[in-house]
Amino acid sequence: MLPALVLFALFFLVPLVVLAVTAFSRWGGVDFAFTGLDNYRRLFSDPVFWKAAGNTLFYCGASMVIQVPLGVAVGMTLAMKVPGWKVFRTIIFIPFVISGAAYALVFSMFYNPSYGLLNNLLAPVTGGQHDWLFDSGTARWAVAGTFVFIIGFVVVVVIAEVAAIPTELLEAAEVDGASLIQRQLFIVLPLLRNIIGTVILVRLLVDIGMFDLVFILTSGGPDNATTTLALYAYRAYVQGQWGYANAAGSVILILGATLIVTVRRAFRIGERAL
Amino acid sequence: MTATPPATTPPADSRRRGVRRTRPRSWALLLIYGFLTVVTLLSLLPTVWVMLSSFKTGPQVYSGKGFFPSPATFQGYIDAFTEIHLHTYVLNTLLYATCGTIGAVTVAFLAAYPLARYAFLGKNFLVAMFALALAIPLVGLATPVFFVVRELGMFDSRIGLVIFYSALEFPFSFIVMRSFLLSLPTEVEEAALMDGAGYFTTLRRIILPLSRPAIATVCVVAFVKIWNEFFFANLLTVTQSNHNVQLALAGFKSQFGYNVTGAMAGATIIMLVPIALFLLLQRQVVAGLTAGAVK
Repeated sequence: MLPALVLFALFFLVPLVVLAVTAFSRWGGVDFAFTGLDNYRRLFSDPVFWKAAGNTLFYCGASMVIQVPLGVAVGMTLAMKVPGWKVFRTIIFIPFVISGAAYALVFSMFYNPSYGLLNNLLAPVTGGQHDWLFDSGTARWAVAGTFVFIIGFVVVVVIAEVAAIPTELLEAAEVDGASLIQRQLFIVLPLLRNIIGTVILVRLLVDIGMFDLVFILTSGGPDNATTTLALYAYRAYVQGQWGYANAAGSVILILGATLIVTVRRAFRIGERAL
Repeated sequence: MTATPPATTPPADSRRRGVRRTRPRSWALLLIYGFLTVVTLLSLLPTVWVMLSSFKTGPQVYSGKGFFPSPATFQGYIDAFTEIHLHTYVLNTLLYATCGTIGAVTVAFLAAYPLARYAFLGKNFLVAMFALALAIPLVGLATPVFFVVRELGMFDSRIGLVIFYSALEFPFSFIVMRSFLLSLPTEVEEAALMDGAGYFTTLRRIILPLSRPAIATVCVVAFVKIWNEFFFANLLTVTQSNHNVQLALAGFKSQFGYNVTGAMAGATIIMLVPIALFLLLQRQVVAGLTAGAVK
C-alpha cells in the first residue's frame, strides 16, 4: 500500500499541486514570482494558442466523426461472427498496438510528395505530386486521416459488448420479421450506447493530449496548422517559461475534464473508471 | 473457431433453428466480406508498405516504383544496427519496459489486495483517486513532472525512467487487478489466515498464484505501453545513450536524407515487438484493454 501511495503522490499529486500554483506565476525553475492571471491573459491573446486549441478540438471531432462510427460499424459487422471474423479482428487491431511515433514515421513516408505511396496511388487521378503535410490547407486533414487506421480498440470493445446482448432479443425480432439491417440499427445499436460513450471518452483523452504523432509528423507546421495544445505547452516549457507552460497545461486538463463530464452526462455513463 | 450459435442447443429448441440468430443471406455475406476486406487492407496498407520497403534498395524507394522489393536486400537492416546503433535503444527500452512493468505490477498488486478485501476509512477515496489518474490527459502535467523528477535527482537516468514508468502504469494496473480480486472468492485465503498464515504469506502463497491471469494481462499491456512511450521519454532524457526506441525512431526522420532503408528497417523492428507480443498473447492484450476501459 505504502509504495503505491508514495509513487502516486510523487508523480500525480505533487505535479498537480505544482501546476495549480505555478500556472499563476512567472517561473523558470529557479526564479519565481506570482503574477496572478497574467499567464492566462497572455494565453488568450495569443492567436497561436487559439489555433492550437482549435486544432486539438478538430482532432477530437475527427475521432468522433471518423474513428468511432467506422469502428462501431466494423465491430457490429464482426460481431455477427461470419466465418473468418477472428482473422479480420486480429488484423484490424494491429495498428492500435503500433506507437504514435512509429505511426508518424510510417505516415511521413506514406504522404511523401515524391515517393510516397499515396501520391503514387493517386497519380492517375490527380496527376501531380502533392505535399499533403506541408500545405496548410491539407495538413490538418492529413494528420486526422491517420485516425482511420487506428480503429482496433473501438472494434474489440464493441464486439465484446454485442456478445453480451441476450440472443432472445434478436431472435424475437427476427420472428417478427425484422431484417438484418433493421435488427442491427434498431436493436443492437441502441444497446451499445453506453459502450460508445466509453469509447468516445477513451479517444478524447488521447486526442486532447495528442503530441507524438503531430510532433514527429509535422512539428506543428506549416504555420501552426497542425499544432496542438500539448505541443503549444511543450514549446513554452522548452523555452524555459515553465509558469506559462503550466497555464497551457491547465487548459488541457480543464478541457479534458469538461469534455469527459459532458460525454458522461450525454451517454449517462454510471459507475465507471473513466 | 467460427463461433456460430452453440451446436449443443437443447432439443426443445431445435424447432427454432430456422430463425437462428443473424445468419446473413448470401448477398449480405458478400457485402460484409467486401466491407471487412476494404477496412482490413486499409488498416495495414501504409505499415506493410513501409515494412516491405525496408527490403528495397535506396534507389528503388526514391523512385517510388513497385510495391514489392526488387531486388530484395537486407542492407537496411545491417545499417540499422551498424549506422543507427539500434541495439543501444532496444536494450534501453527492454530495460525500461521490463523493470517498469515489474515495478508497476508489484506496486499495483500490493495496493489492489487491501483495497479489494478490507474496509477502512478513506478506502473509496483512494480507489477513486487512483482511477481519476486514468481520466486526465497526463501531458498537461509535463512541466511539473519534469520538475519533480529533476528534484529527485532522477532526470536523464535509466533508473529514474524505470521508477517513473512504474508510476505511470500503476493506475491502470491497479484498476484491472483490483476488479479481478473483487471477482475472486475469498474462502481459500480465509482458510489460510485461519490456519495461521500471515498477511504476506497469504498474499504470496494464495493470492499471487490465483491472480496469475490478471497479472499476465496487466504485464503485457504495461510492457507494450512503455515500449511505445514517447512523450515522457523525450521529456526526461537528454543523453542519446539513455533514449528509448521511440525517440530513436523520431530521429530516423532526419535519416531519410541519406539512409531511408536503414530508417525503415529500424522502424520495422520497433513496430514488430508490440505486434509480435499482441499476436502471441492476443487474448491477454484484448482482455486488458477492454477491462481497463469498461471497468
